[in-house]
Amino acid sequence: MLKHLYDTDCVTWSPQGKLFQVEYAMEAVKQGSICLGLKSNENVVLCSLKRQPSELAGYQEKQFKIDDHMAIAIAGLTADARVLCKYMRTECLEYKYTYESHHPVGRLVFKVAEKSQHKTQSGAKRPYGVGLLVAGIDPNGVHLFETCPSGNYYEYKCQAIGSRSQAARTYFESWFHLFEKSTLEQLILHGLSALKKAIMEDEELNERNVEVGILGKNQKFVHLNAQELKDYIAKLETFNANTQIQQE
Amino acid sequence: MIFNSEISGQQQHTTSPVVTGGSVIALVYNGGVIVGTDTLCSYGSMAAFKNVQKIAQISKNTIYASSGEYSDFQQVVKELAKIDRSALQYDDGVHPSPKDYGNFLARLSYKKRCKINPLYLQNVIAGFHNGERYLGLIDIYGTYLESNFITTGFASYFCKAIISNYWNENCTLDQAKQVIRECFKVLFCRDCRAHDVIQLAYVDAQGAHIEESERVETKWDFNGFKSRANEKLHTQ
Repeated sequence: MLKHLYDTDCVTWSPQGKLFQVEYAMEAVKQGSICLGLKSNENVVLCSLKRQPSELAGYQEKQFKIDDHMAIAIAGLTADARVLCKYMRTECLEYKYTYESHHPVGRLVFKVAEKSQHKTQSGAKRPYGVGLLVAGIDPNGVHLFETCPSGNYYEYKCQAIGSRSQAARTYFESWFHLFEKSTLEQLILHGLSALKKAIMEDEELNERNVEVGILGKNQKFVHLNAQELKDYIAKLETFNANTQIQQE
Repeated sequence: MIFNSEISGQQQHTTSPVVTGGSVIALVYNGGVIVGTDTLCSYGSMAAFKNVQKIAQISKNTIYASSGEYSDFQQVVKELAKIDRSALQYDDGVHPSPKDYGNFLARLSYKKRCKINPLYLQNVIAGFHNGERYLGLIDIYGTYLESNFITTGFASYFCKAIISNYWNENCTLDQAKQVIRECFKVLFCRDCRAHDVIQLAYVDAQGAHIEESERVETKWDFNGFKSRANEKLHTQ
């Protein structure tokens, strides 16, 4: 197509009103391995599928703690994610130093979005090639945000990004009406069920390639350890999404 | 002659105040917090500006008062109002709590103190947030203290006895107001830079209320003054 005429840099519009460089950056997010988040009235849970570059390598971490009350899950270019992670951590520390309280979540996401937008309006820069799911708790409540390379951000009840994330989103569409009142355990099981929908046929979820992070009003951000992950994955077999209880 | 400090290349530092405000007294009571100041700004020993409001409302549930250089008070009010205003641009309905303001002011004061260019103030931030009463004292060095009662300036010397005898943290609003009025009566007698017109402001669950200024009652018609017995001319 004539795409290649208008996709050289960020400062060129296409006749259809698209910025192709930004769209290509969003493709990079879709190529990353899946990560998803879901929230109830009290908790937010982040689940990710970790990739292993080769059998000899370890698994790439996808969730990072920003502060006690906030964490991100990434999909896309890990190096770009690290830059944003460092920025968010610095902002939280500065806010804490000045005000002795936690950085409001929406505000930090707004700052990240502003930073991302900058990169889409310059001839010499490229957009960040990473999408973030930002989970956080603040006086306004429990939050889950998605940011993208375009500089837009959205708040969600539950969301999945990365490769084959549509399968997880379809799972969410069926069951998200239950999440508000779910317990933490039910939320984790829903998250893992959604994750399971998005893996390939010959893959399986195990405590090595799955990462689960939890946040709550009285719960600082923490990763589930290997034993806890094993237990939850085992519980998946008998988890009934509709009743949210284990079936015998 | 050129007095412009920028041209001469030397930076000016404010280490002595010019127009100063007097003591601030702040107490918690059962429904919130209350702050009292007098309405005088002194120009050295001259009672120059007698009708000055020295309590400012910073946000819906926070008020600020200070003793010391009045121009620094005005500057701090601007800085704190800036924070409250910039919260609007984020569209998230989150506003700083009184404690956030207190800590911000402490960091600002400490930074300026480190450059030997302090905000020449003893600051009091008072507020009521999420059902909790808040009183913060930030001094000229950036020291940050939270307490149930706060006195600055000469009130720290003259008024603590009155407060400890007649006030407790669960008293009513009227009781707290009376304690503050008593304190300012004593201050007017003993502190040369004090004034008998005071202003009270309180913050409760409904928000901040700054009252009209009032004159404290003082008694001067003692017999000794009237008869001036000590001033009889002594003749040999």
